[in-house]
Amino acid sequence: MKNEDGQIKGMNARRITLADGRYLIFYTFDEEGATKHSEKNVEASEAAQRQPVAAPQAEEERGV
Amino acid sequence: VSELRWNPLLGEWVATATHRQERTFMPPADFCPLCPTKPGGFPTEVPESDYDLVVFENRFPSLRPDPPVPAVEGTELYPVRPGQGVCEVVLYTPHHSSTLAEEPVEQIYKLVRVWTDRFIELGALPFVDYVFEFENKGEAIGVTLHHPHGQIYAYPFVPPRVQIELDQSSAHRNKTGRCLLCDIVAEERRDTRRVVAENASFVAYIPFFARYPYEVHITSLRHLQALTDMSDAEQQCLAEMLKTVMVAYDKLFNLSFPYMMVLHQRPTDGRVYDYYHFHIEFYPPLRTATKLKYLAGSETGAGMFINDTLAEEKAAELRSHVTPVVWGEKSK
Repeated sequence: MKNEDGQIKGMNARRITLADGRYLIFYTFDEEGATKHSEKNVEASEAAQRQPVAAPQAEEERGV
Repeated sequence: VSELRWNPLLGEWVATATHRQERTFMPPADFCPLCPTKPGGFPTEVPESDYDLVVFENRFPSLRPDPPVPAVEGTELYPVRPGQGVCEVVLYTPHHSSTLAEEPVEQIYKLVRVWTDRFIELGALPFVDYVFEFENKGEAIGVTLHHPHGQIYAYPFVPPRVQIELDQSSAHRNKTGRCLLCDIVAEERRDTRRVVAENASFVAYIPFFARYPYEVHITSLRHLQALTDMSDAEQQCLAEMLKTVMVAYDKLFNLSFPYMMVLHQRPTDGRVYDYYHFHIEFYPPLRTATKLKYLAGSETGAGMFINDTLAEEKAAELRSHVTPVVWGEKSK
């Protein structure tokens, strides 16, 4: 999740102070860190679509 | 006025934040305060447009780092404390008309990392015991601004609903030696009827005990307590699972599905919570395309939910709308 420098992968944070004193943080991401997707996760994405066996439908309408 | 008042009947704090009555309510799209400020246009909350996500302190916070002195004095029966904490707004994108479900999975992965960053920074504040990250989506939930965004409340205490989960998890660990959520996940995966989707690191299911018809929980397969415990691959899997569930929601009734989405992580008060287990819960208010599930007398007054549906049937419905998540797709 974090690299050796303690930074979150590919993430850049720029903090400014608004006129009323509140802070605002702009987050940008390095392209590689934002989009790189390991083969393992391609498999994971495909696995997400593996649907379990459909459940039998209830035969009766439930009462209110 | 911003303060915390103790409810001795329920043993919980109530935030009083009267200034929130004045917050912006349903502005027209041309005057969205969450859109980036346009050249020559009216000033919004966000002065620049070159960003992936933005986080800022809520202009109308329920809790603030330097709260005012409470407007009333507490008593032994009614303790009062300053409303100290942090309330942040998380803008998911500069694009006003998008939703998180419509954003590419890459953008959701960015959000997961921003959540992680905020959990670390806010959780390190000495007056913060719990970082609560969530999204209210849709007018049915009471959303006052349509620009896609979530919120973060950094509480000076562990909120009551999380405390119940902690207590139940601790009791289960003491009784069985096992993690409660690990057992729930094992039960749901063994049964399969309520499972909506699963990938390498997460499973999404409508729990056996669902209170809302389309309530979905996303739970990590590995026993971990927070976003900070996850590997990059696990965070990518989480982004995929969020996209999977939210897209299925939108396809269910062919509309932008309203929901409350909440992250349940360990507290940040310095104690050990190795018996707890990270998960995300969705509470959608719709029970049909046109009917809402209201929290009426039993739910609100007694705390007992009545679910008019079977979790097994609703999971099958939702499962039929699960589609592959593709990395590299453009935003709509």
